[in-house]
Amino acid sequence: MKRDTRVKKVRRFNDMVYQCLFEEVPFNVAVIDREYNIVHANGNFTEKFGKWQGKKCYTVYKKLHQPCDECPSEAVFETGQVKVADAVGIDKDGRQTHYVGHVAPLRTTPDGPVDFVMEMTRTITGTKSWQQEYQVLFDRIPCYITVIDRDYRIVRANEAFRNSFGDVLDKHCYEVFKKRTTKCRNCPARKTFRDGNVHRSNQKGTGKKGQDIHYAVTASPLMRSGDDVAHIIEIATDVTALKKLEHDVLEAERLGAVGQTVAGLAHSIKNILMGLEGGMYIAARGLKLENNEMISEGWEMLERNLTKTTSLVRDFLSFAKGRLPSLKPVNPNDLVEEIIDLYGAIASESGIVLRAELDQQIKMAPLDARGIHTCLTNLVSNAIDACQMSRREKCEVVIRAEDHNGVLSFIVSDNGKGMDYDIKQRLFTTFFTTKGGQGTGLGLLTTRKIVKEHGGKITVKSSEGGGSCFTMAFPRNNLKALFHKDNTVE
Amino acid sequence: MSLKVLIVDDESDVARYLAMIVQANGFIPKVANNVEDGLEIVNDFKPDLVCLDIMMPKESGVSMYQQLRENKATRHIPVIIISGAEQEEKFDFRNYLPDESVPEPECYMEKPVDVDKYIAMIKRLTTGDSIEGGGNDDEA
Repeated sequence: MKRDTRVKKVRRFNDMVYQCLFEEVPFNVAVIDREYNIVHANGNFTEKFGKWQGKKCYTVYKKLHQPCDECPSEAVFETGQVKVADAVGIDKDGRQTHYVGHVAPLRTTPDGPVDFVMEMTRTITGTKSWQQEYQVLFDRIPCYITVIDRDYRIVRANEAFRNSFGDVLDKHCYEVFKKRTTKCRNCPARKTFRDGNVHRSNQKGTGKKGQDIHYAVTASPLMRSGDDVAHIIEIATDVTALKKLEHDVLEAERLGAVGQTVAGLAHSIKNILMGLEGGMYIAARGLKLENNEMISEGWEMLERNLTKTTSLVRDFLSFAKGRLPSLKPVNPNDLVEEIIDLYGAIASESGIVLRAELDQQIKMAPLDARGIHTCLTNLVSNAIDACQMSRREKCEVVIRAEDHNGVLSFIVSDNGKGMDYDIKQRLFTTFFTTKGGQGTGLGLLTTRKIVKEHGGKITVKSSEGGGSCFTMAFPRNNLKALFHKDNTVE
Repeated sequence: MSLKVLIVDDESDVARYLAMIVQANGFIPKVANNVEDGLEIVNDFKPDLVCLDIMMPKESGVSMYQQLRENKATRHIPVIIISGAEQEEKFDFRNYLPDESVPEPECYMEKPVDVDKYIAMIKRLTTGDSIEGGGNDDEA
């Protein structure tokens, strides 16, 4: 008797547990018989789908009048196996609802047929809607998006990518992007697989129609914390149009520069021609009038303009030459002293003091001695001219060589005529000269070119009447790198 | 009384040559190598014609031309622009001065100038006569 009571107690306890589980489990639970009648359902189900008593499952779930085309319950009745499926139904308020269902067989006898099925469904409407939004975003975003696995195969690609590169799934990314058979050099995905960080790169690929596609790509790791990078998501922006625009602008600038150079050259030549014609005219008139002074004036004009022709050709060739500087270690002070020797007498004839201020501790530097000689010649010759044009009684030109904070500088300063704002603005323009027929307008341009070729920079400070100061600054790191490159290539 | 011609050009050889030509043809030349000097000379010298270069370092010939036209005392003086900047047939003054309230100069000549054409133009603009001008000083 006592044992029967204990068994009953245990059964009551189990019933209570099962009942509680049935009601409180966070699923919509319904029990369905072979005729598709819902015979039992929990509170969640009732709350979601409404009154079910005496109704068929397809009527409650989908508001249909006949069984669904693909019925998971039917499959479970037939196979006796659990089945998981997702479906779209209509809830008690008429709203579309996505749910995923777990359908299990129920037998009244252990080895007997399946008498009922228990459907446990969970609403995934929110997740489904998010997935749809994500899919739209993934496909419509104006970028190429691909997901790449560790074999560099594309496992997902968005619509924009497919439109430009074709059907690409399961193909290697390098085949698709670049029509290559081997992995690319400088591959951002490879770097991301290696270190798990984001890597960016600018690349040029080939589209499905063979067209060039320029893109800026970012490779980001797809991984759970602590795991290795299993996949990479590559997001690429098509910059082909931008590249074309950039190319067009460069081309226009190049043509503009060529046009400007040719026009400037023609202008200079015409002036020289006119000077030559003038010389001939004056000399001829002198001969006709038997005027020796006039003959001499004409002759001098001829000589002067022939010299100008030589200077123009020399300066133009020096400007146009695309040679790289040939760097060799030199003492910067020696270069300055060469210029003092060269221009000392010329300056002194005009009553101008030319002197050097040298740093005796200055170290050797890899420089193109010929190039720097040209630069210093141009700057010192300009400074002397500026002094000659000045009304100041005592003018001087100073050349300094300095070495501070890893920057080697040559500074040429004068207290001559100086420049106003307009002249400073046009200083580095092709064929711009303030010296009338005496200048070619290429000296400073050539100087800037040589300084740039050394990885340096030229700057100017000047005030009208107060003189000018040109500084050529060469960061020693740049000189070192150029020197190293030169010697490596050799 | 001989007519006066002011020549403004930063190229001193060019200015000297142009001056010699006008002098040989009976005109009185005066030379300025920049706009500032040129404008100063205009006031005292009172030229009958100005020959003006365009590309000069500090202030361009176009700027001087504009100032001549804006001044009541000088706006009547005919101006020949003489420059190597452009070919005669392609020269469009409005590329240099788009302001249409300033009238265009009387003539543009390309460097190096054709001496006969140059003198004929000076004569036409100063006396309205292209055959006879101030006379040739070779005969003087």
